[in-house]
Amino acid sequence: MTEIISNKLNPYVYPNLDIWHYEIPLYLFLGGLAGGLLILSSGMILFKKESIENKAVRWATLLSPVILSIGMLFLLLDLEFKIHFWRFYTAFIFTSPMSWGAWMLLIFYPFSVMQALIVFKDYINFYPFILKTIKITEPHLQKIAVVNVHIGTGIGVYTGVLLSTFYARPLWNSSVLGFLFLLSGISTAAAVMLIICNSGDKRTFLKVDMYLISLEGFAATLFIIGGVTSAGAFHDAMVYLISGTYAAWFWVLFILCGLIIPLLLETLEVLNKVRYSPLVPLLVIIGSLSLRFIIVNAGQSFSTFY
Amino acid sequence: MARKKKYAMFIDTLKCVGCSACVYACKSENQVPEGFCRDWVVQKTEGTFPHLSQLIRSERCQHCENAPCVTNCPTGASYYPGDGTVQVDRNLCTGCKACIAACPYDARYIHPVGFADKCTFCQHRLKEGLQPACVTACPTETLKLVDLMENSSTIEDLVNGRQIVKDKVHAGTKPKLFWLV
Repeated sequence: MTEIISNKLNPYVYPNLDIWHYEIPLYLFLGGLAGGLLILSSGMILFKKESIENKAVRWATLLSPVILSIGMLFLLLDLEFKIHFWRFYTAFIFTSPMSWGAWMLLIFYPFSVMQALIVFKDYINFYPFILKTIKITEPHLQKIAVVNVHIGTGIGVYTGVLLSTFYARPLWNSSVLGFLFLLSGISTAAAVMLIICNSGDKRTFLKVDMYLISLEGFAATLFIIGGVTSAGAFHDAMVYLISGTYAAWFWVLFILCGLIIPLLLETLEVLNKVRYSPLVPLLVIIGSLSLRFIIVNAGQSFSTFY
Repeated sequence: MARKKKYAMFIDTLKCVGCSACVYACKSENQVPEGFCRDWVVQKTEGTFPHLSQLIRSERCQHCENAPCVTNCPTGASYYPGDGTVQVDRNLCTGCKACIAACPYDARYIHPVGFADKCTFCQHRLKEGLQPACVTACPTETLKLVDLMENSSTIEDLVNGRQIVKDKVHAGTKPKLFWLV
């Protein structure tokens, strides 16, 4: 028998870590979605320049910086010393993912906004300076798109790496998490574009989303296998996720409703066995959102590295 | 330039009676807000009655040589001042809590004002040639702050052949709290 008595009090640290509430999972979701929208829209522009006429691509270029800004708002809400937020830009700490993320935003905004401005240039006729900038940058749209695909990937991966460098929280300490969150972000973006797009494009986006959900399923499997076959706290943390307090949420909400059911329905839709329903992309979005909440909460509530 | 220092703390678990004087001394010296603590006492009882053994440990920030809080701090607020300790610059801290998530010892907390806070080894006292408040207040002389760069005879006298226990050495953080058991 072991009995431990401690007079440690600190709230949000004891009895288990509880420092990040709804803001961080929401930010991770919105960040992943913004990254995914940027990857898909820029990728499609790269693939076919005429894509800038496509409704879903147009909306995606615009939504990406808007959604990331909403995400940033939640990030700001999470900071305990909000008036010091600018301190992120007085240092670059090579070993801190959060510092990388903060600086990455400085590349994200000019490039993603520029792309959106070029795509929506017909609506911007009220400010000569912007028109002039568009005129200069428009011939380089493809190059901007190349940069954007990489920035989008960087933002998507970052949302996972942010958690995975904390080995003190054994559940998060998996490098697969970066790819899982990236793929989940792109698949959510595809789901959003599936909702927005014209009925003629539904088939294309259904196929894209199917492919991405399937890849995400592989990443989720690797994440689980990596944890279960690990040792000590890392093994126990993964077992806790898949069979502990959060197990029902993880299996039902993320795996079943977020991956298996949408993949199944989308396959049937592509095969013309069932009619398209906006419920399917909605399930993908719910699954992706719940993934962030489950991972953040389960990672915090499991014991500290031992 | 002043001689390089490397502070560490030796804690004699056989002398410790678990009175928590270190905790109260710290709270009063560092104006630690109510409901929070920078150091604490853990009492661990093992075995089955009547064969019981008890270990009482005064704990605080480990002032790791390879501190994950410093590695993960995005603004450089958590830093090594060069005396072997780990400190927090309140003016740089955004309260992002990355350091709290990174610490395998759960030694940090968020001060109600908004910055990350933890044991400083009473750096302000050390600068004046004084000992940390917890060391001064300990009635059984359990706590000893030692400069590892100093003449090792003090350390040898202190250890006196006894076993030194460090917490979570496999985390690779090179902690600097040494418990003598």
